Amino acid sequence: MLRLLATIRKEWQLLLRDKTGLILLFVMPVVLITVMALIQDAPFKDYQDIKFDILTVDNDHGRLGRYIKDGLASGGQFNIIDTLDGKPVTAERAKELVHDGTYKISIIVPAGATAAIVSNANRIVNDITHRMGMSVSLPVKKNGDSLNVTVYFDPAAKKAFKGAIHQALDNFLTQVETDMLLDRIKQQLRNKDSIAAGNDTLPIRLQAVGLKEHSTGTAKQLDVVSNSVQHNVPAWSIFAMFFIVIPIAGNMIREREDGSLLRMKLIPGSYLAILAGKMLFFVGICVLQFYGMMLVGTYILPLLDLPKLVMGQHPGATLLVASGIGLAATAYGILIGTLFKTPNQALNFGAISIVILSAIGGIWIPLEVMPAKMQLLGHLSPLSWGLDAINDIYLRNGDISYVWKNVLRLVLTGLAMLAIAGWVEKRRLN
Amino acid sequence: MMSGISVNELYKTYKGSEEPTLKGLTFRFGEGRIAGLLGPNGAGKTTTISILCGIVRGDSGEVTIHGLKQNAAHREEIKQLIGIVPQQIALYPQLSAVENLTYFGNLYGFKGKALQQKIMQYLELFGLEKSAHKEIHKYSGGMKRRANIIAAILHDPKLLVLDEPTAGVDVQSRSMILQFLRNYNQKGASILYTSHLLEEAQSLCEEVVIMDAGKMIVQGNPLTLIAAHPGCDNLEDVFLHFTGNALRD
Repeated sequence: MLRLLATIRKEWQLLLRDKTGLILLFVMPVVLITVMALIQDAPFKDYQDIKFDILTVDNDHGRLGRYIKDGLASGGQFNIIDTLDGKPVTAERAKELVHDGTYKISIIVPAGATAAIVSNANRIVNDITHRMGMSVSLPVKKNGDSLNVTVYFDPAAKKAFKGAIHQALDNFLTQVETDMLLDRIKQQLRNKDSIAAGNDTLPIRLQAVGLKEHSTGTAKQLDVVSNSVQHNVPAWSIFAMFFIVIPIAGNMIREREDGSLLRMKLIPGSYLAILAGKMLFFVGICVLQFYGMMLVGTYILPLLDLPKLVMGQHPGATLLVASGIGLAATAYGILIGTLFKTPNQALNFGAISIVILSAIGGIWIPLEVMPAKMQLLGHLSPLSWGLDAINDIYLRNGDISYVWKNVLRLVLTGLAMLAIAGWVEKRRLN
Repeated sequence: MMSGISVNELYKTYKGSEEPTLKGLTFRFGEGRIAGLLGPNGAGKTTTISILCGIVRGDSGEVTIHGLKQNAAHREEIKQLIGIVPQQIALYPQLSAVENLTYFGNLYGFKGKALQQKIMQYLELFGLEKSAHKEIHKYSGGMKRRANIIAAILHDPKLLVLDEPTAGVDVQSRSMILQFLRNYNQKGASILYTSHLLEEAQSLCEEVVIMDAGKMIVQGNPLTLIAAHPGCDNLEDVFLHFTGNALRD
């Protein structure tokens, strides 16, 4: 126990004197998670959270134009702009402004659009009543050209965004056409049955089956959505924890180069106790880093107009995951420190390998949005195991039963890396 | 039971190397002596010391230290007997002498006031008491060497193994270190010492082994060896007589 405690104290003394190491371990990660959360805030926001300006040109001045404008405005995600400098926007001007990127979208409702819809509804009703043996005939436009609501998108607009707007407009068109049709049918039925004409309450429901969102968990639910903070704070914290590889590997190589490793091995007693002390210290530092960054996510980022980090309701599970990540990161540092001969080699390999493991492990962007093959590869990264486990706790309100598999993977990988390091060191001596 | 150090028919070839480093090395030093292990670069001195200390294992042959065979059964006992002063300054440069010595003392199982008293006594003996709390990287070369020796003797070893303990130090520090070794030997400890400074070895050692290419070439008292080889006026002449003038890598 004395060896273990002495090693922890020695590592602490060394770290306190290593100002660069302290900055790398505690200051850089805070800057990193803050910057990443800020710059990824917009892409992570749902369309509801972002307001787009829509240039609207209503040449119809009828029901359809009103429906589209009211419908888009009621969702809260669009600002409807139909005048510029006090004058109504023209179709040509709208096209220009979208093309040069001043506006993202423009919608042109053509003249006669509502009349075309009314005429189409009348044609359908005439056809139905005729087949029912009734002689009523509603006015129908002859040889009407087919009309289109024109939409202009900024050339830089994303495909998903275009799709969402198309779908919304399509819904409005369908809704107007359906309303017109039902209106005409009701009118004809009223004409047919004069008794019902006084208090027509014909109940026509078109949506017999609706949609309702339910949460998947059985436990107490969290009102959390995956946002920039919920993704970036844990993800970049794990990335920063793995960067402990750099000081550990440097520490191992220096001990080997300056002979202090040799001195330790010459002292009676197991070297494992010394290694355990080193591991415990660095795992402790990783856990400290983790909670430091969680505090930043909880208290500092909201001051920058970002959402507050929600850490779930199972602190024990969180501590277990943080320790598992710390163990895997520390063991990786020891392995790299053993495999490489100079601190420079270790630094380059360590840093680049962590960047690669983090990129494929879903730290930069969530695994779900990666191609299927990359997702398979990503699930092999220890960083993704850590992130999955944290997401289980933070977003799914999971407890230890949710995360133990990923923690076990991290621990076993850590032990395997230590075993390889031990084997390499033994071979080196002989 | 054989006391002192005995090396018998020791062979060692490192993995990946075609040429053996040790080829049947054999020598013996009695207990309580100051012995020198001398040889040109690549002779196998460091490998021999590493095998004696149990860090590296020989392929075949036998090593006995104070009656204990160097094998898995006695490795820990032998570690307790030996104090090693490596050629490198095997201390943490960012820590002070006291912090370094406290750490290594703790690893030996010493703690508390007794350890601190011992550390301060040695720092005083080696003239480092005023720099006790200064970080090692701020020490001069001689101060580093002296601190390096203290770290090896905290557990009062019966055999002190020193690899070039006076390399790169000033005359005063060298004189101090050599005097310390004589005094330590007079208390009953054995000393095994390697150096390229043959004049120093001649004045310090009661017995030397000159080895080359993994084999013992000659063993004896330095003055006896000089006398036995006509034309040799000092240990350096004897050394060159046996190892030749060819440059080594």
